[in-house]
Amino acid sequence: MSNNNQQQPAPVLELRNVSVGYESAHGMVQAVRNVSLKIYPNQIVGLVGESGSGKSTLGNAIMALLKNNAVLLGGEVLVQGQDVYKLNKKELRKFRWNRMSMVFQSAMNALNPVLTVEEQIADVFTYHRPAMSKKEIYDKAVALMKMVSIDPKHLKSYPHELSGGMRQRVVIAIALALEPDLVIMDEPTTALDVVVQKSILDKIKELQREKGFAVLFVSHDFSLVAELAEKVAIMYAGRFIEITDSKKLNLLERHHPYTEGLLGAIPELTAETVMIEGIPGNPPDLINLPTGCAYHPRCKYAFESCKTIHPVEKNVDGRLIACHLYEEEVVR
Amino acid sequence: MAMKQPKPQYERDLIVEVDDLVVKFQVRGVSGQQTIIPVDHVHFSIRKGEVLSLVGESGSGKSTIGRSLVRILRPSGGTIRINGNDITSIRGKELKGYRKDAQMIFQDPFSSLNPVKTVEKHLTFPLKKHQGFKGKELSQKVGELLQKVGLTPVNEIRTKFPHELSGGQRQRLAIARALAVNPKFVVADEPISMLDVSIRAGILQLMNELKNDFGLSYLYITHDLASARYFGDRIMVMYGGKVMELADSKELIKLPLHPYTRLLLAATPGSHIDMNLTDQSNEPPNLAIDRKGCPFAFRCPSATDICREEMPSLQNKSQTGEHFVACHHSL
Ligand SMILES: Nc1ncnc2c1ncn2[C@@H]1O[C@H](COP(=O)(O)OP(=O)(O)O)[C@@H](O)[C@H]1O
Ligand SMILES: Nc1ncnc2c1ncn2[C@@H]1O[C@H](COP(=O)(O)OP(=O)(O)O)[C@@H](O)[C@H]1O
Ligand code: SF4
Ligand SMILES: [Mg+2]
Ligand SMILES: [Mg+2]
Repeated sequence: MSNNNQQQPAPVLELRNVSVGYESAHGMVQAVRNVSLKIYPNQIVGLVGESGSGKSTLGNAIMALLKNNAVLLGGEVLVQGQDVYKLNKKELRKFRWNRMSMVFQSAMNALNPVLTVEEQIADVFTYHRPAMSKKEIYDKAVALMKMVSIDPKHLKSYPHELSGGMRQRVVIAIALALEPDLVIMDEPTTALDVVVQKSILDKIKELQREKGFAVLFVSHDFSLVAELAEKVAIMYAGRFIEITDSKKLNLLERHHPYTEGLLGAIPELTAETVMIEGIPGNPPDLINLPTGCAYHPRCKYAFESCKTIHPVEKNVDGRLIACHLYEEEVVR
Repeated sequence: MAMKQPKPQYERDLIVEVDDLVVKFQVRGVSGQQTIIPVDHVHFSIRKGEVLSLVGESGSGKSTIGRSLVRILRPSGGTIRINGNDITSIRGKELKGYRKDAQMIFQDPFSSLNPVKTVEKHLTFPLKKHQGFKGKELSQKVGELLQKVGLTPVNEIRTKFPHELSGGQRQRLAIARALAVNPKFVVADEPISMLDVSIRAGILQLMNELKNDFGLSYLYITHDLASARYFGDRIMVMYGGKVMELADSKELIKLPLHPYTRLLLAATPGSHIDMNLTDQSNEPPNLAIDRKGCPFAFRCPSATDICREEMPSLQNKSQTGEHFVACHHSL
């Protein structure tokens, strides 16, 4: 996708045709459908989609932390070349947090209320680095707090004594504690005020530049992801309907109709005149998906094929788009 | 103390006039019982047919102002006039009558709807009670309202219960219910912030349409400057219970004069202001009644001693129009 004459390093994360479903009383919830993606070292990739589109399910699937009723229906998840589903329990436990970690959705509200920040950070080291001394662990905890710009005096604080923004910084510090190669961040700033949100994003960017880990940044906030990430995967009903360079996320470029709809739905802050238009209808039921293109009932361009034939991803101006409108495009 | 905002020349065109509004609460703080002042001597007005956007981070007193205007809450001081009538402390019958003029739409439509009532029932009650419709006309009126807010096919939607609707549809129902009393003025408190991006635009468009069709005025509460500018004719920025800046929407975004507005803009995607916010403080403002100075001083990059001592008054900095700023060091 990027420079051809420059040698591409091996991807940190490679998803190959990953599908995940949930067993339910009404049938199989097709939460993630045939998803493929590569993330390289030093890269921030955004994953956007409406709520219920399958973002968290995919994040959990990468961490091999699927819920009880979830099934990996197919595909492979490779982290630093290792298929995480080929690891046994013990290996997997070591692999997680060391090589890949995740900031879970609403994690800042899931910190243990009866443990101090220091105890929660220390836990990670006592479990994964049993050889470390108490003093070493304490020093590390102080360094981590400084790293996320919190006064180390708060190591003695309990979660409820911290603001939401500070709790989220602690969660990020814990995810980065063992210096993983890949960090998945699932809506890490949702529910925080805009200024706090931006300050955390700036922090993530700064740390990412410094340490070179790769990030899969999950969010429903389109404009936020477009600013932060280099590459953006747009999810609709469990599928990546477009994967694009974030610089191309504007209406001058050709896009999937859903992407185009989202771009047209967000009021621009500084444009002279602002026109917005909502997307009619609602996201589909993942148990009874529409036939053909899952977006066709809401799509203003839909034609006959859309109702019956599943559109495959095509290369359009260097981006991947799954839409029949681009059927004639020659794959480059 | 704070200088009064001069009355605009077109006073008769005002639907809302808020003068020196104060709301205090007793709360339990770290050091026992404490009085906070989340609305601290606030002045503003809204013209007929105008949308005033109210922006600020959570805890700045936005909802408390909204709740005071529709009188779900009785303010501690100051006056609120609607169409020239003082409604600040009305009660009983008078207050019931006022419910016809002012309606509120909330962030979470689900919690404001009745789970055991059908869509139709949500609308027949206010239509009967406030507008006196009955029989066939009533049913027809329900249909018109549903059509108006885009809840179609009407006959299918009528019999549904709130849990059978999507988030966007529920918010449309909440809007229809507000319209059913034929109000003059609507407080919309973060009406789109819980909805998905693809759904938000439709709700904003709908509110815009209703403004034009019914000559409605709005107080639009949001923490998002982009939608504040899109929907609002003017934007009022609050912090810690105080008005920091108030100006025409486009001007406020293009020429923000207050350091807090500049900070908000820097945090908003797509703005022309770029600041590194890595180490921005996360502390909420001090709302204690005995606080001193500008509530933003402890986070403000331009703060000096005077800022920590004295609250700056809200002053018009525009040569030609109205651009109010409360800052000792505004641009
Ligand atoms: N444990 C579960 N059992 C059944 N369905 C689930 C479960 N968890 C999530 N789902 C469904 O899977 C879909 C994708 O959910 P999720 O991955 O959480 O989406 P997102 O993170 O994009 O909001 C949704 O339709 C959701 O209702
Ligand atoms: N009924 C109440 N009792 C005590 N404190 C309240 C009450 N309502 C709001 N507050 C406090 O007043 C402040 C402003 O709240 P609010 O008006 O809801 O702010 P915003 O809508 O801008 O987020 C907050 O600190 C909040 O906790
Ligand atoms: S395949 Fe058809 S229905 Fe789907 S997005 Fe493209 S044009 Fe619309
Ligand atoms: Mg999620
Ligand atoms: Mg509020």
